[in-house]
Amino acid sequence: MRKQLLTCVALFFTLCLYAQDRVVTGTVKDNGSALPGATVLLKGTSKGTATDADGNFSLSVPSDGTLVFNFLGFRSQEIVVGNQSVINVTLDPDEQQLAEVLVVGYGTQAKKEFTGAATRIKASDVQDIPVQSFDQALIGRAAGVQISLPNGVLNNAPVIRVRGVNSISQSSYPLFVIDGIPVTAGDNLGTTTVTNNPLADINPSDIESIDVLKDAASTSIYGSRGANGVILVTTKRGKEGKAKVTYDGWVGWTKAVRLPDLLGAEQYMEIKNEARRNAGQADAFFPSYNADGSLVDTKWYDYMFQTAVSHNHALSISGGSAKTSYFFSTNFSRQEGFLVSNEFDRQGMRFNVDHELNKWVKLKAGINYTNSENRAPNSGSLDGNAQGIIGAARMAYTLSPNVPAYNADGTPALNMADANATIGNGANTVVSVYYNPLTLFPLFKNKSMNDRILANGGVTLTPLKGFTFTTNYSIDRLRVDNVSSAAPLPGSSGYSTKGSVSNITGIINNTDFSNTLQYETRLGEHHITALVGSDVQKFSTDQWGANVQQAADTYFTSYQGTWGQISSTGNVLTSKSFLSYFGRFNYDFGSRYFLTINYRKDGNSSLGAARKWGDFGGVSGGWTISEEGFYKDLTLANTLTSLKLRASWGRVGNGNLGPYASLNLYASGLNGAAPALGISQAGNADLGWETGDQTNIGVDLGLFNDRVQVDFSYFNNDVSGLILGVPQSASKGIPNNSIVANIGSLYNRGIELAISGEVLKKSKFSWNASFNITTLKNRVTSLATEGSRLVSNSSGNPFNMTEVGYSVGTLFGAVTNGVNPANGRRIYINKEGKEVQYSLVVPAGDFQWSYLDGSRAAAITAADYQPLGNALPTWYGGFSNTFKYGNFDLALNFTYSGGNYVLNGNTGTWLDQRYFNNSEKVLNRWQNPGDITDVPRLVYGDNFASANIPNISAYIEKADFIRLQNIMAGYRLPSPVLSKLGVNSARLYVQATNVFLITGYSGVDPESSINGNRNTSPGVEYNSLGNGRTITVGVNVGL
Amino acid sequence: MNVNLSSKIKMNITHKSIRTITGLLCLVFLLTVSSCDEDKYLQKVPPTLIEAADVFSTPERIESLVNGVYASLKLANFYGGRLLLFSDVRGEDFINTGGNSFTGFDAWNHSYSSGAADILNVWSAGYSTINKANILIDGIAKYPDVVTATVATQYVGEAKFLRALSYFSLVTVFAQPYNKDGGASPGLPLRMQAETTLANNDLARSTVAQVYAQILKDLDEAEAALPANRGTTAGSLLNTTRVHKNTAIALKTRVYLNMGNYAQVIAEAKKIAPQAVAPFSAPAATGVAHALQPNVVTVLATDYTTTESILSMQFTSLDMLAGQSALGYMYYATPDYILNPTQIFSNPQWAATGDTRRGFITRRVVSSQNRDYLNKYGTAAPYLRYMPVIRYAEVLLNYAEAAARVGGAANLALAEELLKAVHKRSDAAYVFPALDQAGLISAILIERRIELLGEGFRSNDITRLMLPFPAKTGTVYSTPAVPTDAPSYIWPMSNDELLNNKLIN
Repeated sequence: MRKQLLTCVALFFTLCLYAQDRVVTGTVKDNGSALPGATVLLKGTSKGTATDADGNFSLSVPSDGTLVFNFLGFRSQEIVVGNQSVINVTLDPDEQQLAEVLVVGYGTQAKKEFTGAATRIKASDVQDIPVQSFDQALIGRAAGVQISLPNGVLNNAPVIRVRGVNSISQSSYPLFVIDGIPVTAGDNLGTTTVTNNPLADINPSDIESIDVLKDAASTSIYGSRGANGVILVTTKRGKEGKAKVTYDGWVGWTKAVRLPDLLGAEQYMEIKNEARRNAGQADAFFPSYNADGSLVDTKWYDYMFQTAVSHNHALSISGGSAKTSYFFSTNFSRQEGFLVSNEFDRQGMRFNVDHELNKWVKLKAGINYTNSENRAPNSGSLDGNAQGIIGAARMAYTLSPNVPAYNADGTPALNMADANATIGNGANTVVSVYYNPLTLFPLFKNKSMNDRILANGGVTLTPLKGFTFTTNYSIDRLRVDNVSSAAPLPGSSGYSTKGSVSNITGIINNTDFSNTLQYETRLGEHHITALVGSDVQKFSTDQWGANVQQAADTYFTSYQGTWGQISSTGNVLTSKSFLSYFGRFNYDFGSRYFLTINYRKDGNSSLGAARKWGDFGGVSGGWTISEEGFYKDLTLANTLTSLKLRASWGRVGNGNLGPYASLNLYASGLNGAAPALGISQAGNADLGWETGDQTNIGVDLGLFNDRVQVDFSYFNNDVSGLILGVPQSASKGIPNNSIVANIGSLYNRGIELAISGEVLKKSKFSWNASFNITTLKNRVTSLATEGSRLVSNSSGNPFNMTEVGYSVGTLFGAVTNGVNPANGRRIYINKEGKEVQYSLVVPAGDFQWSYLDGSRAAAITAADYQPLGNALPTWYGGFSNTFKYGNFDLALNFTYSGGNYVLNGNTGTWLDQRYFNNSEKVLNRWQNPGDITDVPRLVYGDNFASANIPNISAYIEKADFIRLQNIMAGYRLPSPVLSKLGVNSARLYVQATNVFLITGYSGVDPESSINGNRNTSPGVEYNSLGNGRTITVGVNVGL
Repeated sequence: MNVNLSSKIKMNITHKSIRTITGLLCLVFLLTVSSCDEDKYLQKVPPTLIEAADVFSTPERIESLVNGVYASLKLANFYGGRLLLFSDVRGEDFINTGGNSFTGFDAWNHSYSSGAADILNVWSAGYSTINKANILIDGIAKYPDVVTATVATQYVGEAKFLRALSYFSLVTVFAQPYNKDGGASPGLPLRMQAETTLANNDLARSTVAQVYAQILKDLDEAEAALPANRGTTAGSLLNTTRVHKNTAIALKTRVYLNMGNYAQVIAEAKKIAPQAVAPFSAPAATGVAHALQPNVVTVLATDYTTTESILSMQFTSLDMLAGQSALGYMYYATPDYILNPTQIFSNPQWAATGDTRRGFITRRVVSSQNRDYLNKYGTAAPYLRYMPVIRYAEVLLNYAEAAARVGGAANLALAEELLKAVHKRSDAAYVFPALDQAGLISAILIERRIELLGEGFRSNDITRLMLPFPAKTGTVYSTPAVPTDAPSYIWPMSNDELLNNKLIN
């Protein structure tokens, strides 16, 4: 679009031409292809022209003149005309200049005039990364923005935190605005089994740039939606010139990494029978033999994990005339996860058009349709699934290796005595509750499918000089179909009910109508821009569904079969709105002094009746010292080419509330056949805004002719009026034992440093590097009452707590002090600080819980739990490098984070003393008096000392890591080859993600989060899948 | 171009005017477009939920609120069945073979911690029922004119009954037995008012005796307030699924028995079993004519609303429990519990053949062993059998035990008559040996285990008599005896209470 504007400007100049001197012609190109709309100016005059659709120009100039060639995004070039009559120019891309325009709320701003905190991420950084949604590819790219993948299941919403956790119970997910449309994002729209990240409906190849707004001065124009930062995505649009066609495609392979080493069959039987004997029980684990007489030693990993194959294709056609431009793209993606039967498909199309009706009316419109579908077995990795018996990760770790996968006749080994025909037990006398993955995966299917239309249309009017009126209407209409189907066959979790199929369909509708009026003027060195506007957003969810059971025939696995029983499920009918008025005033003087003031008034239907309106806003200022006359005379100016100080303060809100959070509500149900009513939500009529006061002080430096750029910011975000589900004593009988209230405050403080630039450039070789680091201190400063502690559960377990003086979601549990060498019992420290030891089974006269002197002690309960470590990283960042040599390029992107702890709950599973298989760590168990070890004496059935309650200090580990997130090597085909092929450009590359991880963490992945984005329960890994490693080969072609 | 000058100026003026007007229109548009009816956008009410201010607005909704308390009582982790299963498997009559903490293994194994899901769930289910009862009592007082005074009185009586039953269920597992020290031990936080706000979070425990006193007060008031009968025909659905006078009386026999107040058990039981010899039945004149039915299997398996079923939890295909929430699934389909072959299953008082109640047992061959499973709650989904809460047979056994313990020739004769009425209904051929007082008490206790097997009585029958939980030896899992002074003799209190109620000790 910018190209177009320039074209207009250029055309204007053309009209003013006088015939004079002689005519020079030529072509302007960018490294091969023609550049239409490039300006050609006679230096020192307003005389000039623009190149036509083929990049050609023709201009009358005096022979002593100098021509200046300009094109946005390219370095300008000056050429003395002399006696040349044909001047062909090739412009070099200027990446720095590209970065110099930022997309801000309801408009754009030159970076040099910008005084807030924002980071731009270029499309080229993310487009070839093999992910399902572009947000997953932003890892490590922007200072202050921490992104991690909670597990390796396809299409997870990543955990995104812009400058820390800015809320406790509300979402900390940033607002995503795509081409001006605030879209549905961050929620998991799938089921408890299959994920659905709505951002996956955006084709990563369609993205032109991503701007992350981080401080209140930038985000307060979004008022109550800006508390967690705003991520503005700009998609590609057509440019004037003949049609350009691009194709991007890749094919990739993914494998699971860092899986624990489990016991083989013989070790398993030895360990488990030892535990049985220690518990005074008979052996229960016995060998099974294959037909050839060999011992059954099943590697269950082989039946659950795979080398996944994925491929992705994107095709675009774009172009335009002077007045009208268009962009069309289509994409197709089919991806597999390393977990068997985890699959993701997407197909979509995007079309947009810009049209200049006349000098003062411009129209733009766009539509994007996407159909995506994610299919997954229960991975056990999603919120609340850690202890399910159908969770794949837990199954993979725990299934008995001495049990055969198949019967002698080749059918899957099942326990037909169980109503669901769970996994067979081989020769073991213990019955397993788990399923055989050979039947469970094919017979229990879950899918979540989206049909998404993102459409917007807008008009821009410039009725009077300086005035711009823009109106925009957008629709984000998303239909989600969630289907969960358990077949009525043995070995399916739905066998006992003769099948169970749930279909839930929903429409999530989100419309936005915004109007802005902007006035811009320059009076000498004064530059004023003022904007006022209004915005109305409506959200509605209309979802319904049914569950069927009792199949008439075992053939049926879909709702449309014949079933004996049907009941409704998944019904949701809600709506909420935001109503907003806002304004912005920008002033700068002489490109040296900058001031921006933002204001927004927001109404939110979710809040208490008298508290619906909130006032938000910010002020920021900047001083570009390097533009001052005195500075330019300093010798420092030779090194420190540019220097800008900036500071901002602002207030934002967090309006991500449930639609009826303030109300006392009663839900209807049935008691038998009679209608029943019961309280379903204890609301709070006084519920008001959660607000953040954010301060940002920064400096932007440009060194060595701006070859190196340094951005430094200090930020302090004080959040008050935190909306919390205040836990209520369970004896009050309030639904979910919780009532929302504004009862706390916290802060996030830290610094961000980003350094980027050209490290080396020698003829064909160049090395560009970009480094960023953020430090973060998160502290809760007040909660409802003095000393109150909010305990948050993961799958029902109190793994985290939030308390004044600690960071949000601090790890929580029992303090342990190793294993008593005398008897192999784990030692706990109770709340009085006394050492207490535990054994499930004890001889007569002894006690399960005893002091070390053998006298009876009270059991360790949650009342004895203590804070065990901060779960939020205190430093994180990324380091990316791009090397180029001739036609070769190589990029490396490292990410790192640390200063936090993670609960390695897997250890609990890996040492569980039921019939679960264990990791090799169990071999270090205590066996004889005097043994010094961290694995207690094995006691069969022990659910506490080592296993099912894993939140003990012994399992808390440091989470520091460095990961090579991506490595990519590419080769651009040289022009002679290209011309033979008839293509403009072509690049081949090989890429790998999650290449290696350097960490002391002994679990699967230090970035795991079994609770996804939930703020209050970070840093827990428990029976979940880590991230896989993906290698892709791909091609980018321009035609 | 040949353009007339004046027309050019005119055109320019026209253009300019259009643009100016448009500009002004833009401004007006901008300012007015979204200031249209604010209420339309900001005042939202949910279309499928009812706001608190409206729930007491019609007689139908108040009736629904009453049903809502029953629906809460019927939660899976309460009288929907799981609490009953936990209670039964704590005793000695079942052997766990699954080791699955989601199907009550820790209840069986006496290994609950205060954070165990079952503990959190049972505690919350009980108190959520109590709060719903309190909300109902509170609302009826606040909105006095919506239903007639008579109906209001009945509703309050129902709420009190349901509150009493909930407290009784909780106090018998989460507190020391009344008989340990006459109720002097710490009991439960006694919540007696509707809770819907942030206030009143902290509340200390009342003693066990105080909780029992409140239960009895509620039941006495319920007895006075409740209707005598909810249907004119025998077997009326509502006489089984909603409470009436006799339901309160029946529950009192259970509560007094727990307190060792045998005289009061007798006094209450006499109201609904006035006869001295079989057949026993409640007088039709004063309430529902409860009586034992000829076939107990029919009562529980097919014909759920006979006069024997004083109170049951109703299930329909739109309101049922499934999977690990359904007792039929846990006892039979999955199956995680076998009848302990060395306990009540092989007791000589329960004839291996000829006793109708053997029909509740199914033998299957599992892992090459004969295993006996309880089928009382069905064998396959959907599990729609009503869950018994109070049966007339229990009242007769409560009565029998109280009479036997009080002693004296008349009482012992009555006790034996009551025992035989229950036993011979299912096994007419059985001949009891001569029973002295101790033998009679013992026979009654055994009869309870046979008659009420799987109906949630065993744990309480052990603790009310201050007996240790016997050791259990199974093929896969075994668990040692639990003496009365062991911490695991009762359940630990829920973490949700311990962590949030500062007055809990």
